[in-house]
Amino acid sequence: MVEAVQVQLKKGVLELCVLALLSRGDAYAYDISSRLAKGIGMGEGTIYPLMRRMQSDGLVATYLVESSSGPPRKYYKLTERGRDTFTAQQSEWTAFSDAVNDILGGAL
Amino acid sequence: MTRQAFLDRLRAGLRGLPASAINDIVADYDAHFSEGVAAGRGEAEIAAALGDPDRVIRELRAEAGLKRWEEERNPSAAANAVFAVLGLGAIDILVLLPIVLPIAGVLLGIGVAALACLGVGAVLFAVGPFVITGAPFAALVLAGLGLMSAGTCVGCLTTAATIGFINALVWYGRLHITLLKPALEPHYPAKTEVAA
Repeated sequence: MVEAVQVQLKKGVLELCVLALLSRGDAYAYDISSRLAKGIGMGEGTIYPLMRRMQSDGLVATYLVESSSGPPRKYYKLTERGRDTFTAQQSEWTAFSDAVNDILGGAL
Repeated sequence: MTRQAFLDRLRAGLRGLPASAINDIVADYDAHFSEGVAAGRGEAEIAAALGDPDRVIRELRAEAGLKRWEEERNPSAAANAVFAVLGLGAIDILVLLPIVLPIAGVLLGIGVAALACLGVGAVLFAVGPFVITGAPFAALVLAGLGLMSAGTCVGCLTTAATIGFINALVWYGRLHITLLKPALEPHYPAKTEVAA
């Protein structure tokens, strides 16, 4: 049960987490996936289908950067639409989690 | 699993998607291995952290199937999208089947009835006046025309309803595309790691 709740929660916030990371600076997929794996225990392979979806939804764009070690790295950055989506989802999340915390804390 | 084995399995599993998409995806995972190795991890460790390749393949295929349906509205893309979503095998999608199947059945039934109406109307219109005696010529022709237009009208409405129905399925499927258990379970970090 606890496990199922966790899976559902993570599914819901994964996109928001990626938007948040990218809002603080462009990043490449390995970097995003290892930060999320460490932070919220997400499987590392999950990031690639998600990034493809976000790219086809027009939330992120990619560009290549030469790397000193090996082939060029594909960086992701937020598009205008991605930025708007982040702002909207962030305030929704804050309102929702505040409400849940209130209930858990016995305020209602 | 070695890097080569993971990438080969991925490539094999994605067969049938556009070649450019397959190359893109495989290049992403290849780069992931390069980064991991550069960070001092072993290939087997990286492959294990990526999760079950079959799961990854199902998610990527589902995503590609849904995207195709959004780009081209035709029966083959629709079937592709529906099967891709079912292929995810998420329990809550299977739970939906008792609801989905009757709706699909009703839509199919109405569609067939509309076609039949169109056919009967056409026959009535074209040959009715010469075969059926005892009814006024104009009545038969008009009845034929009426049946045909009713058939066309219901057919159009059914098509619109079907498109809406598949869109709803696709929307529901999308909610399930991101991580299900296998990609997630073994790698949940200990609390100390989170704090660090």
